[in-house]
Amino acid sequence: MLLAYLPFMVYPYGFFRAGVAVLWIVVFLWVTVAFFWFTRRLFPSRSLKPAFFLWLIVWAQAVWTLTKLPPYWIASVFFLAPVSFLEDAAKPSHVRVFSKEVPRYFFERVLAGIGFAGFVMLLALIREIGEKRMGIHAFEQPVGMLLVIAAVAFLWKNQPYRRRE
Amino acid sequence: MYFLIITFGFLLAMRGARSAPLQKPVEGLKRIGLEAMDLFLTVSLILALWAFVATLEKIQPVVRDFSILGPGLAAFLLSRYQKKTDVFFLSVMASVFMINAEQYGPLQGILLAGVVSAGIALFQVCFLGLRYKLLFAHMPPSMRGWPSLCLLAGFIALILWSFGGLVF
Repeated sequence: MLLAYLPFMVYPYGFFRAGVAVLWIVVFLWVTVAFFWFTRRLFPSRSLKPAFFLWLIVWAQAVWTLTKLPPYWIASVFFLAPVSFLEDAAKPSHVRVFSKEVPRYFFERVLAGIGFAGFVMLLALIREIGEKRMGIHAFEQPVGMLLVIAAVAFLWKNQPYRRRE
Repeated sequence: MYFLIITFGFLLAMRGARSAPLQKPVEGLKRIGLEAMDLFLTVSLILALWAFVATLEKIQPVVRDFSILGPGLAAFLLSRYQKKTDVFFLSVMASVFMINAEQYGPLQGILLAGVVSAGIALFQVCFLGLRYKLLFAHMPPSMRGWPSLCLLAGFIALILWSFGGLVF
């Protein structure tokens, strides 16, 4: 999720526009995962990865044409997509469409999308407060956001219940 | 451009080419140098090709309308041909888009590609050096992993920020 946020850092958006952009990224992620889950058997072997990147490039072009959103968001989608998604070794053929695996798989992706949206909105809020209210110029730059991400990562890693475990 | 260097420098440092073991920093430096050279040549080639295609009057509107699709496909094919990682392809595509968006001439674009590649290489060299130094530091376990990596990236970004004003 941290890596998925990095391309998003390039956008100089305020809180509202960042919200719209991240909403698009999350919806697109869900649509992409659903599309490739149900159609991947139709692709010849080893062509899934090129098809995925072609899909990303075509959508980047379409979104740029319609909304002028620069295409860095496809990198966020790439990092949010499941790791096993593009591997040639992954064989989904044994999973039936109506098996219990499918809801669990999609539930994990839905959680990842919601988590990413929450993370981005939190950082956009911190950026807004730091930059506009407090006038700290570092928050306009990657410097401030990377230090905030370091703090978030530190807090996440040292959660009290995890320490007790 | 500064944002691009920091973002994709960090991404390439984490998920770029198969990194050399931290215990052998010289090998890591060689790989960073080669990767930066490949990035520069790939971006420059795409910029030059796109500038050439844009001179053909009949297809100028198409070139203008598909400013992401064309370079994106070229970036993907060239990355696959060189057997590069997916992050390399994304870095090339982002660099080409950002340089094209500035609407410089071909020569200035290639110069800018050189600056971006050098900046990304500088970021990665600093990152590798600091990670190597951390091997010999007594870091508390609570700081190991992502917290320390983001902190290092933040410090490097801080230093490059001061240079950024001189270059861009």
